[in-house]
Amino acid sequence: MELFLQTLIDGALIGGLIIVVGVGFSLCFGVMHIVDFAVGEWVMLGAYAAYWLVRYLGQDPMVYLPLIFALFFAAGWLVYPLIYRAVSGRRHHPALMGLVFTFGLSTLAKGGALSAWGYHVRSVSTWLSGQSVSLGVTTLPALRLAGFVFGVLTTVLFMIFLYGTRLGVSIRATAQDRETAALLGVDVRRVGALVYATYAGLTGMTGVLIGALFSIHAAMGAKYVIFAFFVVVLAGMGYVPGVIVAGLLLGLIQSFVGVYISGRYTLFALFLLMYLSLLVAPRGILRRGL
Amino acid sequence: MTTPAVEVRSPARSAAPRLTLGALLATALLLLPFTVSSFWIRIATEVLLWAGLAQSWNIIGGYTGYLSFGHGAFFGLGAYVTGIGMTVLGWPFPAGLAVSGVLAAALAAAIGYPTLRLRGAYFAIATWAFGEMLRQVATVLEVTGGAFGMRLPPFLNLPFFYYITLGTSTLVYVTTYLLLERSPFGYKLLAIREHEEAAEMVGVNTVGVKINAFALSAFFPGVLGGIYAYWLTYIHPDSVLGGIITDLMVVMVFLGGMGTFWGPLLGAFLVQLVSRSLWLVWGESTLYLVIIGAAICIVVLFMPGGIVGLLEGRRAPLLAPRAAWRWWRERVRW
Repeated sequence: MELFLQTLIDGALIGGLIIVVGVGFSLCFGVMHIVDFAVGEWVMLGAYAAYWLVRYLGQDPMVYLPLIFALFFAAGWLVYPLIYRAVSGRRHHPALMGLVFTFGLSTLAKGGALSAWGYHVRSVSTWLSGQSVSLGVTTLPALRLAGFVFGVLTTVLFMIFLYGTRLGVSIRATAQDRETAALLGVDVRRVGALVYATYAGLTGMTGVLIGALFSIHAAMGAKYVIFAFFVVVLAGMGYVPGVIVAGLLLGLIQSFVGVYISGRYTLFALFLLMYLSLLVAPRGILRRGL
Repeated sequence: MTTPAVEVRSPARSAAPRLTLGALLATALLLLPFTVSSFWIRIATEVLLWAGLAQSWNIIGGYTGYLSFGHGAFFGLGAYVTGIGMTVLGWPFPAGLAVSGVLAAALAAAIGYPTLRLRGAYFAIATWAFGEMLRQVATVLEVTGGAFGMRLPPFLNLPFFYYITLGTSTLVYVTTYLLLERSPFGYKLLAIREHEEAAEMVGVNTVGVKINAFALSAFFPGVLGGIYAYWLTYIHPDSVLGGIITDLMVVMVFLGGMGTFWGPLLGAFLVQLVSRSLWLVWGESTLYLVIIGAAICIVVLFMPGGIVGLLEGRRAPLLAPRAAWRWWRERVRW
C-alpha cells in the first residue's frame, strides 16, 4: 500500500512538470498548426543554459528562471518568422513543411549540443536537492515537489492569461478560426509569434527543473519529445485543458509501469498507448481536440 | 503565374543520348568492384543502399504525400527477420530476404489500414510512435538479443554485398519508374497527394491505393534491412532501428526533391558523400547532424522543390542571402 501511494505521488509529481511543456506545445498546434519536433531541444537548451549560468555566475539555478524565460522567449521570437515562412506560402502541405522544418531545427540543435559539449552527463544542484518533505504517510523529495508546484503555478498563470486577458482571447480566437480572427482585427502573425515565443520560454524554463531533477546531456531532448507528443495526442491536439489530464496520466503510467512491471517497458507502454489513442480517438481521450 | 500541380511530361526527346548515358552508367556500376579498393566498394554499397531506401520512402512520402516518420521500422524489421531466420531457424540468406520483404509489406498493410486514415501531422506522429514502439520491442525481446543485439553468420565478401544491394536498389528504381511514373497507379497516388477528397470523388479507391503504396514502400526497406544485417553481421536496436535511419530517408528525399524520380538518388548520393567526407576528416563526429539539420532547414525555407526542383527551375529559388535577410527583418517586430 505504501509502495502504491509512493508510486502514485511520484507519478503525479512528474506529470505536473510535464504539463508545462505540453501546454505550450498544444497551443502551438492549436494556433499555428505547428507540430514542433524541437520541443525536446528547448528543454535540453534550457537545462544547459541553467548549467552554464550557475557555472559562471554562481547562485542557485532557481534564481535564473525568469532570466531563462526571457532568453528563450527572445529566441522563440527570432525563430518564429522562419517557421512562419515554412508553414505558409505556395507549398503542397504547409503543416508538413512546418513539421519537417522543426525536425531540421531539432537535428541542428541536438548535433550542435553534441558537437560543442559532447556526451558528458552534467548536473546542477539547488538548495532543495537532497532535502525531503514529510507528509505523514510518506516522504517526498523536496525538488520533485518544487517541480510540481512550479508546474501547477505556471499552468494556472498561463490559463489565467489565456482565459482572462484580451490577448488570451485573441489567441483562442486565432486557434478557433484563423481567417475570422484576422477579419475581426486580430494580428494573426503577431499572435503566432507571441505563442511560439511563450512556448519556447516556458519549455526552456521547465528544462531548468528537469535538468536539476535528473541530469543534463545533449541527447536528453528525445525523451521529452516523446512526452510532449504523448501528452498532446492524448489530450487532443490543441486542446489545452486536456493537457492537464494527459500530463498526470503520463506521470502515472511512467511511474506505475516502472515500479510494477519494469523500467524497460515504460517507453513501449507510452508509444503503444499513443499509437492506439491516435487510431481510436484522434481527437484525444476527452474528444475535444482539433 | 500558376504552375500546374501535376506536370504533364513533355513528349520524349530523342532517346539516344539518354540510352548511351544509361548504358555507360550501368557498365560503370557493374565494373566498379573490379576497379576500386575495398574501402570504396563499401562506400558505393552504402550509397546504393541509401538510394534504395530513400526512393522507397519517396513512394509514400513524396508521391502520396503521407510523411511516414517511422519508415526505419521496416528496415529494422527486415534486419531482425533475416537475422533470426538465419541464426535461429537456419534459413538460407535468400529465403531470409524474401520473408523479410514480404513480412515488412504485410506489416505495413496491416498497420496501414488504421493508420492511413490519419492525415498530415497525425499520420507522421502515429508512424513515428509505431517505429519507436518496434525499437522498444527489439530492445526487450529475448530472441533479438535485447539491447545487446545479435550476431549473424559472418560472410566477408564485399563484392557480393555490393552486387546484391545494386540489384535491389535498381529494382526499387525500376519499380518506381514503371508503377509510379508510367502507369495509372502513379497518377492515383498524385491525385491523393493533391486532393484526396477529389480523388475519392472521381472514383479512386483511395484506401486501397494508399495501402498498396504503403506496403510497396515497406517491402524494399525490409529486403534492404536483411542485406544490411548480413553485411554488418552484428546488429542491435540502435544500429538498425535507430531514429537516424528514418531521419536520413526523409532528409535525402527532401534534399533531392519530394515526389520526383531522380530526387532520392541525388539526395542519397549527396548526403552520403558529405557524411563520409566529414567522417574521413574528423573521424567519429556529431558534426554531420548539424549539417543535416541545417540542410533540412534551408531546403524547406528556400528550395521546397529540392535539387531537382532547382534544376528544372520550377520555382524561383530564394537563395539570395540579402533578400532572405530583408525578409526576416521585416517579420521580426521588436
